[in-house]
Amino acid sequence: MPLHMQAPTPHRPSPPRLTTPTTDITNPAWAQQNLLPIDHRPPRAPSPRPPTNTAATSVSSSSSAPRIKKRKPWRKLLWVKQDYPDNWVDPTFLSQLQRNINVHPYDFYSLVADSTVIVQHLSSVVIFVTSFIAMVKERVSPVSVALVSTALTVAGWAVWDMGWEKREKVPYPSPPPERGAGGSSGASASSSPVKKHRIDSIDVGDNSTSTTTITSTSTAADTEAGQKSQDEQSYIRSQQRSRRLKTAKSTLLIYFTLLGLSPILRSLTGSITDDSIWAIATWLFLANTLSFDYGSGVEVKFPASLSTNAAITSSVVLASRLPHKDELPPNTAHVFSLILTSIQVFGLFPVFRRYLKHVSWGLHVCLTVMLVLGAAGGLGAVVGWGWAVVWVLGVVGGMGGCGWWLIGLQKYKKCIHGPWDPARPVIRRQWE
Amino acid sequence: MPYNIAMTSDFFYPQPGGVESHIYQLATKLRDRGHKVIIITHSYQTRHGVRYLTNGLKVYYVPFFVIYRESTFPTVFSFFPIFRNIIIRENIEIVHGHASMSSLCHEAILHARTMGLRTCFTDHSLFGFSDAGSILANKLLKFTLSDVDHVICVSHTCKENTVLRAALDPSMVSVIPNAVVAENFQPDPNAASKTHITIVVISRLFYNKGTDLLVAAIPRICELHPSVHFIIAGSGPKAIDLEQMLEEHMLQDRVSMVGPVRHEEVRDVMVRGHIYLHPSLTEAFGTVLVEAASCGLYVVCTRVGGIPEVLPSHMTVFARPEEDDLVNATSRAIKEIRMGRVRTDKFHEQVKSMYSWTDVAERTERVYEGICRGERVGLMERLKRYYGCGVWAGKLFVLCVVVDYLIWVLLEFLFPRSNIDIARGWPRKAVGTGERSTRRDRSRRREGVLVEEENARN
Repeated sequence: MPLHMQAPTPHRPSPPRLTTPTTDITNPAWAQQNLLPIDHRPPRAPSPRPPTNTAATSVSSSSSAPRIKKRKPWRKLLWVKQDYPDNWVDPTFLSQLQRNINVHPYDFYSLVADSTVIVQHLSSVVIFVTSFIAMVKERVSPVSVALVSTALTVAGWAVWDMGWEKREKVPYPSPPPERGAGGSSGASASSSPVKKHRIDSIDVGDNSTSTTTITSTSTAADTEAGQKSQDEQSYIRSQQRSRRLKTAKSTLLIYFTLLGLSPILRSLTGSITDDSIWAIATWLFLANTLSFDYGSGVEVKFPASLSTNAAITSSVVLASRLPHKDELPPNTAHVFSLILTSIQVFGLFPVFRRYLKHVSWGLHVCLTVMLVLGAAGGLGAVVGWGWAVVWVLGVVGGMGGCGWWLIGLQKYKKCIHGPWDPARPVIRRQWE
Repeated sequence: MPYNIAMTSDFFYPQPGGVESHIYQLATKLRDRGHKVIIITHSYQTRHGVRYLTNGLKVYYVPFFVIYRESTFPTVFSFFPIFRNIIIRENIEIVHGHASMSSLCHEAILHARTMGLRTCFTDHSLFGFSDAGSILANKLLKFTLSDVDHVICVSHTCKENTVLRAALDPSMVSVIPNAVVAENFQPDPNAASKTHITIVVISRLFYNKGTDLLVAAIPRICELHPSVHFIIAGSGPKAIDLEQMLEEHMLQDRVSMVGPVRHEEVRDVMVRGHIYLHPSLTEAFGTVLVEAASCGLYVVCTRVGGIPEVLPSHMTVFARPEEDDLVNATSRAIKEIRMGRVRTDKFHEQVKSMYSWTDVAERTERVYEGICRGERVGLMERLKRYYGCGVWAGKLFVLCVVVDYLIWVLLEFLFPRSNIDIARGWPRKAVGTGERSTRRDRSRRREGVLVEEENARN
């Protein structure tokens, strides 16, 4: 039991713990210097553990040297009674402290690039609001706005639909090399979202014989390649058909629901005063911009429902302020157009923007520039060209300035880790 | 010289727990050394007012609004009038706060400093620096500890943590560990099974106690060692996971779940085992490890927080907080026990010599001596200390302290000291019941009692 022997007997002639000159609390000088929190003392060298050296040196200077030598080195243990005061600060104090271990510095240009997503959303909000102002001022008809946005939406849908196979990774069961050749750009896309289609694929295109042929393609690939691609083509086509049918169905459903609701919506908030309407709409748009899901990629189907709902509610609220004659509520067609536009701008457009960013960075930048300029044009036409210039400068300055600011703030980053942090358990989930 | 000490914390009996028993044991042992100790806590359900525990320890249960897990609502000033009354009534010189999650303790320290008393604070837990709750708690701690005479931590890791959290000078932080009442944790070699090895787990079943590791490791340990049995005591939200695991692997006959166990019964559960398994993810001290070792159990534990400091290596097998390593460590421990290479029968005496509350009280007393000899600081000096806490926080803290001071002046005016009765001390017999009292101790105690009796006579 050697370890047991090390522990001194209870009747050790222990020196009083707090009476070494280092820790004499009675000494006013010591108290003044050491009883203060660190912040109040004169600045020291920027060492992570300032008081250590002072404590150690003052001990060696004030106590007799041989006694120090006789002492066993201090150990970070509680069970052994050591010849040191309880408030002893060893040179190893905080030696296990780690700072900023998982922090990676930001790159200015990537920050600016990432901010385009926010700029796009802000621009689309500005475009929607300016077109509403234009409607109120009777510069444009709500119907024409809805027509333009519907046309753009259909065009956007066409682009989005063309990229479907690439994006969703054709669930046709082909071996990896073939797939890599067919859709290399979509390699990073997640294959999870459409489980249902995958189940369909087993009914439509797959059978046991084709699977066996595919497993043997490595030996006789050339002869069967034509046959297989034909299978694949027909499979894709049938998929496309069912998908488009589904889209058309839901489009019609939304269309008619909206048409049916418009007569109710047009007078819903009619009795509320203008001030309240503007305030509510402003808050709802703020909620929309703040809660919008800027971070997610194409794989997310319906992100940030709060954001979308806020925007559409705000358009419902605004609908009663469309131009109307005297006591009558606004025209049903106008209300319908406004809400349809809002659904397109806030419900569908973000999906398209995500897709475009995923597909091509160049197109994403083009769209951003177009949106910023479109918003500037809208502002210019509705409130004045000065504001349009301010908007463009604000966007450019904000993108650069915020990035630079964030990088500048990084020097204040202090991530502290040490043995006191709760450990992260490592568990192999082989039992599930 | 004997001191009049007020221990203040949100956590005290009837609620069971580590901090609670720490306060109780420390107060008892300090009383044995001739000091006068009272405890101030908030009221628990029907328990409010002044109570005496059976050994004469006086407890003030102050009515207070509890918000979360027996922590009171931090109102900063509302505690002051009654606190001042208690302090004057009991003639208190030192206010000793416990536990950093207790806002009652923080308030007490602030008011005690305003009243010019000595203050001391004991930290029992570890906190991170990343999540919002910790940041808030750390700010609060920094506020209180800007002006405190001394801080006590239960382990060296806890000291490092507290020094960082509250930006303290490390030399004003002492490390005084917890202890166990070794008599209450006597080993019983006949209680454990002779045929198979039993592993005991006693912990609250929470995430930070490592129950997930336990759920993952138990089936593998059972598979590797067919003669090993488990006893799991404790309750908590993770109990369901354990039960599911038992059903999935059909281990009901080898793993018995005892449910919640009172602290007095812990020993009876412990002695039924050979190995104590403690898979906690964070731990400031780990009193239960010492209790297990005192019961003669070989301890398998994770190397986290202050645990590596607590027990010597011949009593413990350390594991990383990983499933594989925990299984390996447990297997190693089972092997050692089977080979008879661990002298668990000697653990009790060894633990008894390592940890005792008398020693803790002695060391705490030395801290009291130190802080009572220190200079008293004036209001301006205190304000300077608070002002340095931060650009905005500093000003806010100064505002709080100034308001606190004004409240004190107002209270002195409205309820003058002369109108407050002084409470009589508890008469005590001069019988030494300490665990091991040296001659010096005994003489001191007699002195203390004499003084006490004189006080009572006056």
